[in-house]
Amino acid sequence: MQATQIRPRRPRDWRGIVFQAVMLLPAIAFLAIFMYYPIEETFRLSLMRSTGLGDEVYVGFQNYARLFRDAEFRAGFVNVLLWAFWSVVIQIPYSFFVAYALCLYRNHFTRPLRAIFFLANVLPSAITAMLGQFVFAPRYGVIATLAQRFKWTWLQRIDFLGDPDLAFWSIFALATWAYTGFGIVYLMANIEQIPRDIEEAAKLDGANRWQYAWHVVLPMVAYPIRILAILSIVGSLKLFDLPYLMTRGGPGYATTTLGIILYQQGFVNWQYGRAAAIGVVIFLLSLVFTVALFSMQRREGELQ
Amino acid sequence: MVQGKWTRLVVVLVALVLVAAMATTAGAQSRVRLTVWGRDLPDDDPAHAYIREVVTTFQAKNPDIELEYIALGDPGIQDKVKVSMATNTDLPDIFQTWGGSTMGGYADAGRLLDLTEELESIPTSAAAKAAMSWKGKTYGVAPFFAIAGVYVNEGLFESLGLTVPTTLQEMEEVADKLLAAGYQPFALGARDKWPALATYMYLVNRYGGMEAFADAQARRARFDSEPFVQAALKYQEWVEKGYFGPTPLGEAYGDAQLLMATGIAGMHVTGSWMNAQYSDPGFTDQTLGFYPFPLLPGGKGKITDVMGQTDIGFAATWVAADKKDAVVRFMKHLMDPEVIAAEPGRISSVPGVVAPSRLTQMAADVFAQAEAVQFWWDQDLPPNITTPLNDTILKFFLPGADVRQALAEFEELAEEVMGPAAR
Repeated sequence: MQATQIRPRRPRDWRGIVFQAVMLLPAIAFLAIFMYYPIEETFRLSLMRSTGLGDEVYVGFQNYARLFRDAEFRAGFVNVLLWAFWSVVIQIPYSFFVAYALCLYRNHFTRPLRAIFFLANVLPSAITAMLGQFVFAPRYGVIATLAQRFKWTWLQRIDFLGDPDLAFWSIFALATWAYTGFGIVYLMANIEQIPRDIEEAAKLDGANRWQYAWHVVLPMVAYPIRILAILSIVGSLKLFDLPYLMTRGGPGYATTTLGIILYQQGFVNWQYGRAAAIGVVIFLLSLVFTVALFSMQRREGELQ
Repeated sequence: MVQGKWTRLVVVLVALVLVAAMATTAGAQSRVRLTVWGRDLPDDDPAHAYIREVVTTFQAKNPDIELEYIALGDPGIQDKVKVSMATNTDLPDIFQTWGGSTMGGYADAGRLLDLTEELESIPTSAAAKAAMSWKGKTYGVAPFFAIAGVYVNEGLFESLGLTVPTTLQEMEEVADKLLAAGYQPFALGARDKWPALATYMYLVNRYGGMEAFADAQARRARFDSEPFVQAALKYQEWVEKGYFGPTPLGEAYGDAQLLMATGIAGMHVTGSWMNAQYSDPGFTDQTLGFYPFPLLPGGKGKITDVMGQTDIGFAATWVAADKKDAVVRFMKHLMDPEVIAAEPGRISSVPGVVAPSRLTQMAADVFAQAEAVQFWWDQDLPPNITTPLNDTILKFFLPGADVRQALAEFEELAEEVMGPAAR
């Protein structure tokens, strides 16, 4: 403990302070204009009734109260939470499994495979959605055509995008294909960073591949996995593109999301106040999850 | 050497600045710049033939106007116009619009340019003019007007010995026979939501007449009053019988078109904008016809009650106030019969224009006999309840849906926006 050491008072380095301020100013200005101001504006607008044209009327928390009474909003709310849950439960273990397998069985297929897994992630979501429709469409879709060819009538009868019980899972399957590429590449990069001697030590101690994965690799990539979880959850809360392009949020409210409702309230229904309130809900949810996951990380760090 | 390099650089810079300055002042002095936002690209697509003709010939005929046409797609055009109107910045001089209540909202906010007097002399159909007017003032022109009707696969009907239905009962008999013969009675495309509205508008009309919707809109009746419920129950019955195929919610509007084009579906209730494609041998090898939606004997609706909306329309904004002359010239150009002749399928609003195809002629005949035209509900209701309207109709398709409940929920929303209805 050297806290009691008395340091001599140095004269303030004004030039340094000015320099730092000048260097920071553009970043602060950018953040203020493009982040803080819009966030503040969204909060303000969420308390107004506004069509975008004409005057805004202050209505207090009416927009929020109205949202939680609305069946569509509740459906969208549940959908994004389910989406977030299943993303973490299905997509992340899947990414880890593929990444670990690719790292373990390293041969000349590894690089092409990594590229193939990542490819779906590079496609714009409009293209992904088109491919999805191409696969799932009734009658002309890939699955329907195959089913017809092999006379699998049970498969032919399945309405992947039109059945309210199935549409969510059809889009989720497509999203799993499209989004896990990033997780795979990211986890591979982290698994490859694990020093060789740790792997060798584990082998010498008699660990098999499952034990090595479970007791060595998994704890060592815990932090990247947590980052992936945060990205997945926040991404799920903001989800818009695939469900909107594939089913417009239907059938019924089966695939609607907070993002879709926000877009429709703001741009189609001319309800800027209500759209802003949804934006605030998404913002607060994202904030809560992010802070919770990072503070979990910090607490574990302190324990260690 | 160093000095020479700097001199050269300065000379080049000065020259560039002078050229740029001359170019901009010369342009500003002699040419008016007209910015037009549209939906379609002026390209080779047959559906874009008219807009391509508009853009190319206007520039050739009006060298003193610099036309800047920007294609934004759909819903791009609607989103971008909405945002610009809300912020009242970056507005174009002229924009494509479907008229009705959406355009009316812009007019109420003072964003549009009143062209009532200037457009008075342009010949047009009453329905097209009404669609581009709001509270007695005209803001633009609609060179094409679409009506909803029934496309019928005449070849298929003939081979099965069916006749085109004129009553709802006949329509159901035809549908049952088509179903029994292994065909899908109706193509729909409900996954895109809006296509399901056309059939419902007609069913409500055939049960309750023109006044059913008009009363609900004027808040003299509720949206869950009898004609709306009866129509919904009929619609639901058709869904359950499989008239829209085994997977109605899985098919998009494009899929519905393919079902008609390949002869899998027998009928398609939709807007006459499909004329060009449905008479294009490159798109379909079937023989299709266009007919009015059948009548319900004993119902209040008439065969001459027609649902319609602007097919292509343009209106001007306040930023064009100081170049009204150029705006009016563009509007007149839009309505020029020579320009309209480039269109392969839509129904022209200009009297005397020859229909380009048999289908267009058939649709134009239905339109010509119309005694009353109801605008497509989603153009006529306040914009903030049109998405919920389409969502409500889609609920009729869900297994075991309570249509009364769905309509009551829509009525609740309508009350919030349009005020309570008289009991």
